[in-house]
Amino acid sequence: MSRIVVTGIGVITALGDSAAANREALKKGQCGISFLDLFPSRYAETLRFGEVKVSNDQLRQKFNVLDKGVTRTSLLAIHAFEEATKNSGLSNEQLTSYDTALIGATTVGGMCLTDELYHDANNDTQGSEYISSYDIGSVNLYMQQRYGIKGIGNTINTACSSSANAIMYGARLIQHGLAKRAIVGGSDSLAKFTINGFNSLQILSPEICRPFDASRQGLNLGEGAAFLVLEKEEDAIGKKIYAIFSGGCNASDAFHPSSLSDEGNGPYLTMSGAMQVAGVTNDQIDFVNAHGTATVNNDEVESKAMLRVFTKVPAFASTKSNTGHTLGGSGAIEAVYSILSIEHQELYPSLHFETAIESTGLTPLLAYVQQPVQHVMSNSFGFGGNCSSLIFSKA
Amino acid sequence: MIYIHQIASVSPQRELLVASMDEVNESANNVLKVVEPKYEGIPLSVLRRMGKAVRMGVGGALPLIHHLAFPLNGIVIGTANGGMEDCIKFLNQVIEFEEGTLTPTNFVQSTPNAIASQLSMLSANQGYNITHVNRGLAFENALLDVWMLLKENSNHTYLLGGVEEISSYNYSIDYLADWFKKEETSNKVMYDSQTEGTLSGEGSAMFIVNAIPSNAVAKIDALKLMHTSDAAEIAKQLKYFLKEHLAEGETVDLLLSGENGDIRSRHFFEAAEGLLNNSSVARFKHLTGDFATASALALNLACQLIQTNALPAHMIKIDHMKEVKKILIYNQHKLVQHSFILVSKP
Repeated sequence: MSRIVVTGIGVITALGDSAAANREALKKGQCGISFLDLFPSRYAETLRFGEVKVSNDQLRQKFNVLDKGVTRTSLLAIHAFEEATKNSGLSNEQLTSYDTALIGATTVGGMCLTDELYHDANNDTQGSEYISSYDIGSVNLYMQQRYGIKGIGNTINTACSSSANAIMYGARLIQHGLAKRAIVGGSDSLAKFTINGFNSLQILSPEICRPFDASRQGLNLGEGAAFLVLEKEEDAIGKKIYAIFSGGCNASDAFHPSSLSDEGNGPYLTMSGAMQVAGVTNDQIDFVNAHGTATVNNDEVESKAMLRVFTKVPAFASTKSNTGHTLGGSGAIEAVYSILSIEHQELYPSLHFETAIESTGLTPLLAYVQQPVQHVMSNSFGFGGNCSSLIFSKA
Repeated sequence: MIYIHQIASVSPQRELLVASMDEVNESANNVLKVVEPKYEGIPLSVLRRMGKAVRMGVGGALPLIHHLAFPLNGIVIGTANGGMEDCIKFLNQVIEFEEGTLTPTNFVQSTPNAIASQLSMLSANQGYNITHVNRGLAFENALLDVWMLLKENSNHTYLLGGVEEISSYNYSIDYLADWFKKEETSNKVMYDSQTEGTLSGEGSAMFIVNAIPSNAVAKIDALKLMHTSDAAEIAKQLKYFLKEHLAEGETVDLLLSGENGDIRSRHFFEAAEGLLNNSSVARFKHLTGDFATASALALNLACQLIQTNALPAHMIKIDHMKEVKKILIYNQHKLVQHSFILVSKP
C-alpha cells in the first residue's frame, strides 16, 4: 500500500492563528487559557477557556465571507482550511476536482448560536439567518459549497475524537482509490451548549487545567480548528512533506457514556492497534501527544493504559494545558502539533504540572527539547467510549 | 461488495413494506411519526432515560446483535442529528435557567454518537465505533465506511444503521427554512402535490453486513455520493455509474425513487427516470416521510422487495412488470445532496 503523506497543515487556536504562531507559543510554553473576552456567558469571569481572541467580524473580513448564516465554527474551519490548502499548494482546479474529498468533524456545529437556536427551535421567530446552519453537517456543507468541492464530503461525530476519525477516514478514501487527496480536520467553537453540558457533568476546572497532576480538577474548554491535506506519497513528488500518516486505530471502550473504564480498555486497544497498523513497536514511539484533558478520570486511565502498552512509557505531554479542550477540533489540532514536532525535531512541554498521580507515577515532559523524533502517537478519547489513536512519522 | 444478512427497521408503518394503501398509516399535520415496537433486551431503567433517536437505534439493532451468527467487529451509524429532542431540552434549560445548575442526562443523550456508543455498551462491543453526520449523506457515508472496512477485512461483520427522529424542535427549524409543506397534505397523495416542501418523517434501519455471500438477503454492488444542485450533472453521473457497474446486457429492474412531493426536486427524479426508461419506478416516502437518512429505510425496502419479489401497487409509479433482481435507489436531500445505491439479489 502507498504511504499517505501530509502536504499541508493549518491551525487556529487560543495560541495563535497559524501553524507557525502555534509552534512559537508551544516552544515557549505559553498558555492561551483565560477568562472570556468575546464569548458571552454567565461564566465569562469565573471560569477559564481557550478562547480564540479573534472576533467573528474579523474572521469574516479576513476571508471575505459575505454569505449570511455562517457560524463561528465554520469561520474557524475556513481559517484552518485556507492555511492548509494554501501551503499544500492546491490549485483551484485540484480543489474542485471530483477526486478531492473534504472530511470534517465537529461536535457543536452551528449550536454555538445557542440563543438563536433556542428561538428558532421554539418557533417564536420568523426564522433567523442561521436557520440552516445549526446542524453538525452545516460546517462541512458550507465549505463544500464555498470552495466548490465535488468529491466525497463527510462529517464525523465521535465526540472528542471526531477529527482524529476524520483524518483516518480521509486516508482510507485515498487508499481505496475513492479520492486522490483528502482535506481532513475539524472545528469547534465555544458554545453555551457545551460549556453548560460539561459544567453539568462537573468536570470543568475552576482553575487553569493541570493535565496529569495529582490534584487536577478538570478541564478548560477551548475552541479552534485544524485541517491537514493528505495525499499518496507518489502523488506528492516535489512537494514539501510535513510527515507521514502511518496509521490509526478506532475502538470503543464500551463502558460508560461519560467516563473511561478503570483499566482503560479502549485507550489500550487504540494505542496498540495504531502501532500494529503503522508497523512500529512500542519502543519506537518517541512521543505521545496525550488526550490529557485533566479530568480526574481521563488522566489516570490514560496513564494506566500507557503503562500497559509501553514497556517504557515515552515522553508525553498534553497540549490541552495550552489550548484548553477543543472537543471535535482537538484530534486534528493535536495531529498538527505532532506533525510540527516531527517537522522541526522538537518536543513541546506540558504545562501546570507539579505532582505525579500516585497510582501511576508518570511525569509528563516539562521542558522544550530538541531531539530526533521519528514516530509520534496522538490520542483522542471521546464521550461514549469513542477512542482513537493516530501515528505520524518522519518521512 | 457488501452482503446484507439481517435487517430491522422502526418506521411510521407497523411493518415498513405495507401490502396495500388502505393499510398505510396516514400522516398528521404533515408529519409521519414512528410506530415504536416493544423494545426487547434493554433494561427498563436504561430505556426510560433514552431519547427517541437512541431508543429507535438501539432498540432496533439490539435484537439483530443478540441473534448474530457472526462475531461483530464494529458499529457504524449514520444520523444527521441524533437525539434532537434531548439536545433542545438541554438547550432550553441552558437559556431558561440562565446557565444555572443543570442535570447532564439530556446533554449526554443529545450527542449524535450516543446511538453507536450506547450500542457498544449494551452489547459489550469494543470494535470500530463511528457516527457519520453529514446531513443527507450521513447514512451513505456509513455505507461507504463499511464498504472500505470489508475490503480491509474480508472476514469481518459490522452493524450498519441509519437513524433520525423528528421532534417539534427540528420540525420548527426545517419548517421555517421552507423544507416542509405549508398546507396540510396527506402522505397518500403527496406525489400529486404541486407546492414546495415535503412531509416530515423519521425512522431507523439496521443491517448486519459482511463480505460473505451465502445466505445473504441482498448485496450492494455500488454506491455514489454527490453534492450538486444541477440535474444535468445527476444525469451525467448516473449514466457513468450504470456504465461502470452494470455488466453487458444487465439492466436495472426497479428505480426506487426518493421522490418527496416537493415541486423543487421533481426535475432531479425525472432526470433519473429519463435514463432508466426500461425500469419500473417505485416510491417510498409516503411510508416514511422525508428526513436526512431516509435512504436507510429505502435500503431496507430494497432488501425486502428482492426477497419477496412482491411490489405493492401503492409504491408503483411506472410498472414494467419485471422480476425485481436489481434495484437502483436514488435519493436527494435538500436539493444538493444526492446518492445512488445499487442493490441486487445475491
